[in-house]
Amino acid sequence: AGPAMAEAGAAGPAMAEAGAAGPVVAEAVPPPPPPLPGLQLVRQGAEACVYRGLFLGRAAVAKLRIPKRYRHPALEERLSRRRTAQEARSLLRCRRAGISAPVVYFVDYVTNSIYLEDIVDSITVQDHINSLQQSGNDTSSLLILAEKMGELLARMHDEDLIHGDLTTSNILLRPPTEKLDLVLIDFGLSFISGLPEDKGVDLYVLEKAFLSTHPDTEAMFKTLLKTYAATSKKSGPVIKRLDEVRLRGRKRSMVG
Amino acid sequence: MAVRHQLELFPGCGVTLLLFDRLRNAAALRKKAMEGSMEGAFINPAMIVDPFQILVAVNKAVHLHKIGKMKTRTLYSEIIFSLSPNNNISDAFKKFGISDSDTAVLIVLVTDEGKTVNVEDIASQVEGQQVSLDELPRLADTAKIKKLYKITPQEEKIGTLLDSIVCRMSTKDVL
Repeated sequence: AGPAMAEAGAAGPAMAEAGAAGPVVAEAVPPPPPPLPGLQLVRQGAEACVYRGLFLGRAAVAKLRIPKRYRHPALEERLSRRRTAQEARSLLRCRRAGISAPVVYFVDYVTNSIYLEDIVDSITVQDHINSLQQSGNDTSSLLILAEKMGELLARMHDEDLIHGDLTTSNILLRPPTEKLDLVLIDFGLSFISGLPEDKGVDLYVLEKAFLSTHPDTEAMFKTLLKTYAATSKKSGPVIKRLDEVRLRGRKRSMVG
Repeated sequence: MAVRHQLELFPGCGVTLLLFDRLRNAAALRKKAMEGSMEGAFINPAMIVDPFQILVAVNKAVHLHKIGKMKTRTLYSEIIFSLSPNNNISDAFKKFGISDSDTAVLIVLVTDEGKTVNVEDIASQVEGQQVSLDELPRLADTAKIKKLYKITPQEEKIGTLLDSIVCRMSTKDVL
């Protein structure tokens, strides 16, 4: 309890002030915000705090990893560093292949923070789909969006790059939205793999996220997969695996 | 004319960029830089497309300097090394450092809290004309830069040359 308490005491909202009698709840203490001009907190996820601000004169996003105190420090350090390195590596890989992803400005391997290009005035595909559905607009534009997404993911998988956390909030639309210029973000869980299994799972994660977040989008996802299959040179085995993974899934026990 | 910027992550640390064209004493400057009798990083402007490229290099160099993990011996040599897309130090100096036949030079100075840069002092030792940093794009050798940084044709479609360069600079040590 010693080291955790000492550090928690210094930061703000730590709860570990409670008497040593009860179980020590190692509260995940967020790191101090970076001193960037125009600083705004974008979101505080489980993995990292995301801020916007000016860095070296440019609009940037700073992702500061939240250290997990329940982990053994050596493991925490290694895992944190690996995720940061994977993210940086994947972003460069995307760029070299001509896949739109934020530019990396600076990687700090001490705090495992990464400073990236801020795609100013972008909106997530999630928000875009929601707003289109709410305003009851024609669904044809959603299908074209699905095609663009399928194409983007096909190109990413053809580079043997697995995103690892595909959701509609991890794909951005550059302004103006109508151009459907997509940018992939958040490569913290990404890795390199040529296996159809890994690509299939990547798509499965997206499918689950899609259907649970956006009602009545089955047709959209179907279009996405169709374009994916048409764009990717190695799509056959991947789609096959996707079907198999769907059958596996969670809560799919065939025991009555 | 000189560009000054405060590094956000290192409060108090200021960067000054000076650009000189119509340079006549490149050899003398290079010697002074090597001896350490003149402060600053002396960079070949043909390899620089934008001041941001320098700021990214300086930010990284200062960071490594503060944590004692520089790959080169001095902060100024580390700035030059940070510009390179690969991890070969002597190659970085050859490509980004000043050579005897250069006709322009970009001088980068880093100062700590309070200390100001004596621009006149520097300028007096440079036999050339100080020009605005806006001249950088004109002095840049785009073809050479693309070749050195190995920019792919697909990449050029999704961003600027500066984007590609900066991405390589910041991720080269993870590969």
